[in-house]
Amino acid sequence: MLFTSAAFVFFIAVFFMLYWYVFGGNLKLQNLFILTGSFVFYAWWDWRFLFLLAGSCTVNYFLGIRIAESKNEKYRNFLLWTGLSLGLASLLFFKYFNFFVSSLISTFRVFHLQADIHTLNITLPLGISFYTFKTLSYLLDIKSEKIRPATDWVVFYSYVSFFPALLSGPIDRPKTLILQLQQKRVFDYHQASDGMRQILWGLFKKIVIADNCAALTNPIFDHYKVLPASSLLFAVFLFTIQLYADFSGYSDMAIGLASLLGFKITRNFNFPFFAQSIPDFWRRWHISLTNWFTDYVFTPLNIYFRNYGKAGLILAISINFTAIGIWHGANWTFILFGFLHGCFFIPSILRGSINKKKKNAGLTSWSLSLKAFINASATFILLMLTFIIFRANSLAQVFDFYHKLFSPSIFYRFTIVEKINTTTTLIAIAIMLWAEWLQQDKQHALQIDAIKRFPGRALIYFGLIFTILFFSPPTITDFIYFKF
Amino acid sequence: MKKPINRFLLKTLLFIIPVLIFFEVLFRLGFAPIVTDSTLFDLKMLGVQKHHVKNVKLLAMGSSITLYELNSDSMVKNFKLRYYNFASWGLQIGDMNRLLTSLVKTNQPEYVILCSSFPDFVSPPNNSYLNYINANSYMKDSFPELFYFKNYNSIHQIIRRKFNTYPLYIDSWGGASLSDKLRNINSEKWNEHDIFPTRYTPGNYAALDSLSTFLRNQKIKFIFVQVPVKKSYTNTDRSKHIILTHFDKCKSIVEAKGGIYLNYYNTAIFTDHLFIDQYHLQQAGSVILTSEIIADLKKVIK
Repeated sequence: MLFTSAAFVFFIAVFFMLYWYVFGGNLKLQNLFILTGSFVFYAWWDWRFLFLLAGSCTVNYFLGIRIAESKNEKYRNFLLWTGLSLGLASLLFFKYFNFFVSSLISTFRVFHLQADIHTLNITLPLGISFYTFKTLSYLLDIKSEKIRPATDWVVFYSYVSFFPALLSGPIDRPKTLILQLQQKRVFDYHQASDGMRQILWGLFKKIVIADNCAALTNPIFDHYKVLPASSLLFAVFLFTIQLYADFSGYSDMAIGLASLLGFKITRNFNFPFFAQSIPDFWRRWHISLTNWFTDYVFTPLNIYFRNYGKAGLILAISINFTAIGIWHGANWTFILFGFLHGCFFIPSILRGSINKKKKNAGLTSWSLSLKAFINASATFILLMLTFIIFRANSLAQVFDFYHKLFSPSIFYRFTIVEKINTTTTLIAIAIMLWAEWLQQDKQHALQIDAIKRFPGRALIYFGLIFTILFFSPPTITDFIYFKF
Repeated sequence: MKKPINRFLLKTLLFIIPVLIFFEVLFRLGFAPIVTDSTLFDLKMLGVQKHHVKNVKLLAMGSSITLYELNSDSMVKNFKLRYYNFASWGLQIGDMNRLLTSLVKTNQPEYVILCSSFPDFVSPPNNSYLNYINANSYMKDSFPELFYFKNYNSIHQIIRRKFNTYPLYIDSWGGASLSDKLRNINSEKWNEHDIFPTRYTPGNYAALDSLSTFLRNQKIKFIFVQVPVKKSYTNTDRSKHIILTHFDKCKSIVEAKGGIYLNYYNTAIFTDHLFIDQYHLQQAGSVILTSEIIADLKKVIK
């Protein structure tokens, strides 16, 4: 059930009415209804994996309570490691098993050895990377006594399986969401209206921009060997936009849906294309994941390597970003992508400017300085070039693509294989960047408080609604981050 | 709490209602929702819904061959049973096999007539027809506007499809006639030899077998009509052999399941000037073919 499908629109409409009109005022029933809705939502895709989700909830619920109750540190550590191992083992099996096996076979081949190991036909359960990370942070936070365990199983199960954020995040921390699940919720008109606006903005980004970009870029990436470099450059530009519009569009919809139900969930994007450097970019891109890794991977590593000075910091960041790369998927391309981004931090570390925010970093006014514009453009170009690695199927394809990209045909006139909605897509991209630039001090681009009168705002909303209805591409694609 | 939520719902409706009205206007202006990959099929099914075509007892099904070669006037004049031609361009036997389950459910026919030739056996079934087959009957029969949302296609595509459609006159019984060569089709392409058999041909034979079995189980008489082929098409021994093997295969499948197999491959009656391409007859040819079919069916259809 995609957020963009008619089935989901029907589902959320019925859910919303029952949630507020029937169960409103009764916290227990509301939470139970969230849990039921989330399980139905998940089972709609594949009911068999519901057992995995429910199993993960059950194990971590009891482990959390036992860790908090126990006074014996060794036993607490044992319970924590049991939980972490189980979570990571399921992730390793479903997501990385075939990658490890095929990598092992390739390694054997290097030494002229035959390995009789077979890969398995494993279906990746949707959202496993996201909900597993939620359970891991839950156990780690209980162990470090940052939070108390949830004593109501419905609250904990709802936290793990909360349907707006179940399939592709944001990865909410326990203290953000569990606390809200434990508190009485009252319908807030302004929050719900803002949620609807954010959903609309997310739909615009996903359907008009991301899906149209996909229709334009996929044929170019499929035939990159025979197309001029100018076409490849155009595809790389569009893919960078597509990835952002797709994932941030999903996140906007998830946050908007949560707002409709009275929740404030973690912000995932903060206008990353206006970032002044790569470190700044990672403070703005997939924020919930970056923060997760910062807290649970980078910080412990940084403490561990603290005696090694800047070299220790570089090592900690490199490992952290390689892990972020691996999180995205079982492919060497993701490892290279993460590692490269870790390396991009080195100049900032050496200059000692890693934690300093640049003065113009926010591009906050119309008087955009040339330097800030150059910084943002240079960061964008660097991102474009590394997203080639993210998009490719193998390292061989990455290098082949780069070889084709940096060739004299970059000055040729570019060819577009699929021409549907090209102009509309480019105009929509310009509108998105312009609106987000103007609204960057807001949570999302549609918080248009500057227009006070309702008819003026309504005109913008109708404009977006009809743009979505008029210019959606022939096929609505799955969200890219579903496969992670 | 009730007041703010009512206000919120009211305001949301303020945005939803104009969108719904817009789609209703679009529907009434003839910009039909895109259900399958076939424009003609979608238009025909919309026509079926609009004119409440139901309980068809003599049901014609097939590709462009049934559409053009079964003359509606002659069929209606000669048989007292309620008749409708559900055929549409490009349908393969695999598609017909799937679609018939839905059409039989709605109409409970006594006879199903299928005019066919080898091009009905060359491609795999088109999954877009499942959008129609799997839709619930309320949507199909009473509220086809819901297809706008079930299989969402942009308004841009809907408008483009409407204006790119080849203008076609479909008579009141779902048939059509080929009186002149279709525009925009290269004459060489129109007369070229189709590759036959293809790797999908065995699948289509299996579908014919399944279709025949289904109709036998439903106690519906299946009439399979092998339409004539242009003489010039079979001018080599190899092509003649391929055609005759195909005829034998179809005959054996249909008759094994209690169906009626009729073959009108007769180059003496159906001379080349009656054809518009290798296997589509012009209107004059279709009238002759239909009268031949009627003469034979008079013995079967009471």
